[in-house]
Amino acid sequence: MAQVVEITDKKYPELLKKIGSIAPQKLYYKGNFCDEIFENCLAVVGSRRLTSYGRRATEQLITEIAAAGVTIVSGFMFGGDEAAHSAAVKAGGKTIAVMPCGINIIHPEYQAELYNEILETGGLIISEYEGNFLPQTWSFVQRDRIVAGLSKAVLVTEASLNSGSLITAGYAKKFGRKVFSLPGQIFSEVSKGTIKLIKEGAEVVTEARDILSFYKVLRSGVIPGLTRNPGFVKKTLDSRFRGNDNNLGSLEGKIIDWLKREPMEADAIARALCVPAAKLGMTLSLMQLKGIINQESGKYYVD
Amino acid sequence: MLIKVPSVANLGLETIKVDVEINLASRGLPGFEIVGLPDKAVGESTERVRTAISSCGIDFPAKKITVNLAPADVPKEGSLYDLPIAVGILSSVLEFAVPEKSLFLGELSFDGSLRHTKGAFLMALFAKEFGFEKLFVPKDSANEAATIKGIKVFPIENLTQLSGFLLKRKNIEPVVYKESQNLVAPPAEFDMKEVLGQEQAKRAIEIAAAGGHNIIMVGSPGSGKTMLARALPGILPPLNEIESLEVTKIYSAAGGIPPGGSLITNRQFRAPHHTASLAGLIGGGSKPQPGEVSLAHRGVLFLDEFNEFPRSIMEAMRQPLEDGYLTISRSKQRVMYPADFMLVASANPCPCGYLNHPKKNCICNQNQIRKYQKRVSGPILDRIDLHIQIMPVDTNEFSDNQKNSEFLESSKAIKQRVVLAREKQSERFKTEIIHSNSQMKNTHIKKYCKLAKDVEQILRQAAIKFQLSARSYMKMIKVARTIADLDNAEEIAISHMAEALQYRPKTYESA
Repeated sequence: MAQVVEITDKKYPELLKKIGSIAPQKLYYKGNFCDEIFENCLAVVGSRRLTSYGRRATEQLITEIAAAGVTIVSGFMFGGDEAAHSAAVKAGGKTIAVMPCGINIIHPEYQAELYNEILETGGLIISEYEGNFLPQTWSFVQRDRIVAGLSKAVLVTEASLNSGSLITAGYAKKFGRKVFSLPGQIFSEVSKGTIKLIKEGAEVVTEARDILSFYKVLRSGVIPGLTRNPGFVKKTLDSRFRGNDNNLGSLEGKIIDWLKREPMEADAIARALCVPAAKLGMTLSLMQLKGIINQESGKYYVD
Repeated sequence: MLIKVPSVANLGLETIKVDVEINLASRGLPGFEIVGLPDKAVGESTERVRTAISSCGIDFPAKKITVNLAPADVPKEGSLYDLPIAVGILSSVLEFAVPEKSLFLGELSFDGSLRHTKGAFLMALFAKEFGFEKLFVPKDSANEAATIKGIKVFPIENLTQLSGFLLKRKNIEPVVYKESQNLVAPPAEFDMKEVLGQEQAKRAIEIAAAGGHNIIMVGSPGSGKTMLARALPGILPPLNEIESLEVTKIYSAAGGIPPGGSLITNRQFRAPHHTASLAGLIGGGSKPQPGEVSLAHRGVLFLDEFNEFPRSIMEAMRQPLEDGYLTISRSKQRVMYPADFMLVASANPCPCGYLNHPKKNCICNQNQIRKYQKRVSGPILDRIDLHIQIMPVDTNEFSDNQKNSEFLESSKAIKQRVVLAREKQSERFKTEIIHSNSQMKNTHIKKYCKLAKDVEQILRQAAIKFQLSARSYMKMIKVARTIADLDNAEEIAISHMAEALQYRPKTYESA
């Protein structure tokens, strides 16, 4: 059911044609191939070893950007790409996955669920390779030029110094597209690439507005269906506990104060606040149920 | 001349009587032969008996000697028939009567002395049940057999001493049972107060010990998983009388009781390496021997580097984890060994081990991590009640007070709480076949863990938020019950349930 568009076709994306002689001659695709989807594209690429920070930042930024109508383009690899696609799909936005393999193959295979979700939500899967062509080392790099070529701008979420994400950013610069970079910690291996980009003049992104203002599609206000805290849980729990145990409330406050500075693991909180592990565990569970805090890779953070 | 000397054969944990029939025929060429399905060790008995008797200065009879081990169709194994065979021959040579209502067991040395032989405890149990009054066993094994009251256990040093006794020329004092020194709870390798930090993990270990829950610890190398596990024996309650007998039986059958040892009163800590064979871990062999899971009965089975254990071994552990025993079937026999242990597993989060490590970078990609974590069998993880993540501890972050072990709780203090919680459970389950919270099935949970409305509501909300499976839902109730027991509370309160949720199964996602 895969279809094909030639470079001579009217349907062929304008922006991609502009990259010149290296533009793919044919594009095989599945899904919703239309002019609107190519109108405002943002490439979002990131390390295969995305950190919890990278994932959180991607989710937060992309949810808003995709909901505002910008199409998220990425390479369908696990890690940074997958986080970007998923966030776009969940936000009800559109997303394009550029595959490094033949159009009939899903790579990596275990992301088949995401693959189907992209198609079901009106997204698009494209590849310059036909049939059952297996991904090769070089085809990943070739794929990167299409990701950059389709997009007005590229956002690099996390990248190490020899990362494929930097190759995509390199193509973007070559094609004269804008490069956004997410700042990270200087010690993190996967922030070294993004920091390098910033030094070279990429624009720093700290909120969705930074990118949306570039696309001039800034839609203000809360996006429906995306409220974070499940209110009903919070309400029932709050009324019950605050009445029963007054200490609990103040302990919660202290925990929040600490977590606002940086995500911490339970043991570190226990030591900082001098509370026994049993009591802390109980409080953390309840706070998590109320949706005040969240946990990822062993550390708690304020939502 | 036909002589009968009674002994036993141990098939797994079952004991049957074996009559050692010795025929000394004056006609025929001199010889010495054993029939009745002897294995190699039993067959070689002829050489040991012949030499031992000669060493005692007694002329070995130049007759055609045939030994039959009856019943003839049960395979006999081991060296325990040396003594009954020697006694039979000596009774013919020295002309004494084999004492009645007696059982003989023991391996002979060439110099005529007796060596420590496995199975003495099982024989004593058998003797008690079937009305035998006297046991003749090697001196080193006597303490083991003497644990059963109402039986005279004669410690035999060598054949000369024994024949003197049977000729009523000398006396041998029966052994009086005394608790042996070498098996009384060897101290745990670490005291809990030696473990710096790891507050949550320590608490989880305490809960696991109190309710007999299985626990898995996931963390980077050097984060202290093994140390925590090795500190666990120090907070476990001692075995009660019945449990003690159960464990001693298994050790007696496996030959795990050292010379001079007797009842095992402390919970065993078994830590097999991941290269152990299936038969070694689960039990087996052509004559099924108990494996590590049975040797850990009523104790702890610690599996370090859990992901490295072969899939076949993990799957084979499902029956003992579910039922508390396992059946080993062979074409010739079927043996049931109890294997009711507490599983303590530890694993790295990824192949390189440094996923989520605060200082070091993980070099694995997501695909490798997925593959690595998938190596632990789902059904086994499903049977583990407590899941904890262990973070490496940076001692520089501790204040002097926090570093000073005097301020940390010792194993002794934790053990007291654990013992109290276990007592509450024994009281609760006194009419049931189970004895700890971890063994509760759904019917028990309904009966003993009634949840107040608000507690149930919390659990339901958590089930949605944390996507708990139906089985995990039940596990949370069991763990909450144990936490309530540690708190000496009759009802499961919100605080207990909320704490239990901390130990829910988690996926150890990308860094």
